[in-house]
Amino acid sequence: MPDQPVPPAAPPSAPETPARSEGHGHGGGGGGGRRPEGGHSGGGSGPRREGGGPGGPGGGPGGPRRGGKRQYFRKKKVCRFCVDHVDFIDYKKVDMLQPFVQERGKILPRRMTGTCSRHQRWLGEAIKRARNIALLPFATEL
Amino acid sequence: MDERVYDLIFICRPATPEDEVNKIVTTLEHSVAEHGGKIEKTERWGTRRLAYRVAKHREGFFVYMVVKSTQGDLIKELERRLKVSDPVIKYQTIRLDEELKRQQKLSKHREKRASRRPRKQAPGAPPVPPQPQQVPAAAAE
Repeated sequence: MPDQPVPPAAPPSAPETPARSEGHGHGGGGGGGRRPEGGHSGGGSGPRREGGGPGGPGGGPGGPRRGGKRQYFRKKKVCRFCVDHVDFIDYKKVDMLQPFVQERGKILPRRMTGTCSRHQRWLGEAIKRARNIALLPFATEL
Repeated sequence: MDERVYDLIFICRPATPEDEVNKIVTTLEHSVAEHGGKIEKTERWGTRRLAYRVAKHREGFFVYMVVKSTQGDLIKELERRLKVSDPVIKYQTIRLDEELKRQQKLSKHREKRASRRPRKQAPGAPPVPPQPQQVPAAAAE
């Protein structure tokens, strides 16, 4: 079970979890108190969980998120273009653009690739130009 | 007026014979010369696989040209000719002079910055302020 930085609330929330089955299969005891405050001992540990909620994701660099990727600690990524001192991202060089595109053809977000905002903008432009001239796909069937 | 630089890429059907492609290129060259521009570069990338079906083809013959001109109307004329010609299934023109200018500016800035500050290669080298004291440091290396 992934742990939340709220030690006193953890034990009482554990038996509650099966009772409050909401379809969130990720068992993490209430990330930020999004569950509807209901019944019995929920009232007692609710506010305590609320207090721990903003502390969790706000404290760590990518704290546990419900649903998406669970990354407790994201290692520092450097922008590949800044390191190589690239001043112009050429849309004709498909092999340079390929690492930044998913298998389905979608552009990878900045937080995945670690690109800086300026280069991400240029990259997006280059990818869209390459898509227009059929060097990169718009969307592929997996 | 500044000279504009354009990147022109067009794709022909995959089974197009060589002389047809040459004919198209010659036509474009004539148009460019008429309007007072010049073609910097012509590259034939050959038959490449397309990322998606264009005009029911999965492959295409790519031709890449760099065109320089002071008039913007030239591009309209070129694209009109490409649109009309049968073998060409796709074309794209991109204006690149602003980007090239920006790229040159950035690389110039970087070179200036790099030449001003001495490169700290030796760990024992004292931090030198940006002054022409780099010469003894370079000589010592």
